[in-house]
Amino acid sequence: MHISQTSLAKVILIFFPLGFLALAVLSISIGAKEIPFGDIYQSIFHFDANQPDHQIIIHNRLPRALGACLIGAFLAVSGALMQGMTRNYLASPSIMGVSDGSVFLVTACMVLLPNAGAFVLVLFSLAGSAFGVFLVFGLGSILPNGLTPVRLAIIGTIIGTFLSSLAAALSIYFKTNQDISFWYNARLHQLDPAMIKLAVPFGTAGLVLALILAKPITLLSLGDETAAGLGENTTRIKLLTIVAVALLTGISVALAGKITFVGLLIPHMTRYLVGNDYRWVIPCTAALGGLFLILSDTASRFLNSPFETPISIVTSFIGIPFFIYLIKRNGGKANA
Amino acid sequence: MLKQERKRFALSLSAGILAILVGAYFSLTNGTYPMTAADLWDTLFRGHSNPELGLILFEFRLPRLIVGALVGLGLAIAGTVIQAISKNGLADPGILGINSGAGLGVVIFMYAFMGNRTLDGYFSAISMPLFGLTGGIVAALLIFGLAWERGRLDSQRLLLFGIAVGTGLGSGSIYLSLRMKSGDFDMAAVWVAGSIWNANWYFMIAMVPWFLLLLPIILFKAKLLDVFQLTEESIKSLGVRTEKQKLVLLFASVSLVAICVAAAGAIGFVGLIAPHIAKQLVGQKHMYVLPISGMIGMLLVILADLLARVVVAPAEIPAGIVVSIIGVPYFIYLLFRARA
Repeated sequence: MHISQTSLAKVILIFFPLGFLALAVLSISIGAKEIPFGDIYQSIFHFDANQPDHQIIIHNRLPRALGACLIGAFLAVSGALMQGMTRNYLASPSIMGVSDGSVFLVTACMVLLPNAGAFVLVLFSLAGSAFGVFLVFGLGSILPNGLTPVRLAIIGTIIGTFLSSLAAALSIYFKTNQDISFWYNARLHQLDPAMIKLAVPFGTAGLVLALILAKPITLLSLGDETAAGLGENTTRIKLLTIVAVALLTGISVALAGKITFVGLLIPHMTRYLVGNDYRWVIPCTAALGGLFLILSDTASRFLNSPFETPISIVTSFIGIPFFIYLIKRNGGKANA
Repeated sequence: MLKQERKRFALSLSAGILAILVGAYFSLTNGTYPMTAADLWDTLFRGHSNPELGLILFEFRLPRLIVGALVGLGLAIAGTVIQAISKNGLADPGILGINSGAGLGVVIFMYAFMGNRTLDGYFSAISMPLFGLTGGIVAALLIFGLAWERGRLDSQRLLLFGIAVGTGLGSGSIYLSLRMKSGDFDMAAVWVAGSIWNANWYFMIAMVPWFLLLLPIILFKAKLLDVFQLTEESIKSLGVRTEKQKLVLLFASVSLVAICVAAAGAIGFVGLIAPHIAKQLVGQKHMYVLPISGMIGMLLVILADLLARVVVAPAEIPAGIVVSIIGVPYFIYLLFRARA
């Protein structure tokens, strides 16, 4: 029996809560200290501050699972937006200098405003990501063939190197490198629940914007002329898309540093499953991205146990073979 | 026409050598312990000045200067060859992922052997380049193998695979270095950022034989690089066995890169920029471009290292960072010019 792509999308969305629950329970119970499933239920509904297991669950494992799910969803959606907008199958937040832009501005903020709190730093991180995205896409749109896979990848790599070099020079000169690496290494395993609360409004705004843009992006992914011919204002859509990308990636970088390949891999997988209609692609990619990152985060505890391995290493090990497969199949073609 | 080209070559070469000498002078005399010209002269050629100056000059500044110059030379020449072969002015050992391969080789070496050894001593100076070399060649084989399609190299795929493989090998390095002891980790981190502050004579002794072996191979084949710029059909009609010659040249330049990376970590952009500047100075003939490009590479690294030490003294910025801060704006300028 052949299942249509739309019904597959519905299946993904319906089963997402179930999948999330299962993976979250798995992720909460596995780790340096094994926690029985029963305790998870207990700690959420009958929290007992005297039980160490309950403390671990509420203050460490649960925020971590939630954070991983949110970040996975944000990154996957921004990857889908970028790929749809540029029609470039390699576009993704991690190869576009976005996170380096954030590092640069956060460094600048720590140098200029040494007493800035977490909220200000998050704002700077968002602004930095926006700066990175604008720089890369700006150059890509001005230059001839700048948005083709090869050019955009090179521009992204170069701008990324430049911004991170500037940041490194600044932080060495002003001796803030330890603070910086602390800020960026406050990774998933020590995710602060307060930071997650801070992230939710920005992330929601980005997701809502993405859903609103879903239809025009579907048209854009057919080509600028087609979209314009159907009465869409392509420039405005592109600008709004960049805003959404900056919001979603910026907040992810602020929460957990640079996490690679989620934004590249998941949208491709999603389109393979549910087709090219972004009204389905965007919610499904968010669901799959969230699940994928919870799973990767759980795996990251085993690679070098009892120590934690940065989650980016897990996602790279999964993502790079896929990246290579994509290039092998599509080469330098503009749209694939 | 021919005569004019030769004249420009001679002019550029002498201007370059002069600039390198000036750079070397400033690099030797400036630092936390400044010297005068007279001090320098006495210590270098008469050997009867005070022992402190001798120590600073011979143990720190001179090896650093020479290793920096060699690294610049090697990276620039390798960059020129790689750009000519891939017919892509954006190709660079760094973008092609060869750096990351060599880097992973060196990190594996540090991980396996460094428990209680330090960086000086013949053992590590000789074997680090070998590990870097192996890593670089494996990465190159991987990238070129993937980009090999129906008997020829697709230069667009080459760049994309380079980025992919480079990222992968880079995360391999991070993974391994996180498993190291913290002392080893610091060393690896500094080294990966591309610094030549810990250069010493052992490094130089380990590098020179490779340069003596590889540079002549490349220079002898300079004319072939011109031939590669023609279309595939015309090359065949000239009777050149393209793919075999390409492999020899690639192998030589990948080895050069790997040795430089083993000595100085990932100093990016030298191999990208130097060939472009050289071509503006002396035109397209690789017989002229190669030496000039090598010279510009030397100059770039010497100046970057000088800036890295002097501007933020007494702190130091890794030279690789300075090169990319200077290099990127120039690169973007190149991209814009390509449109015109």
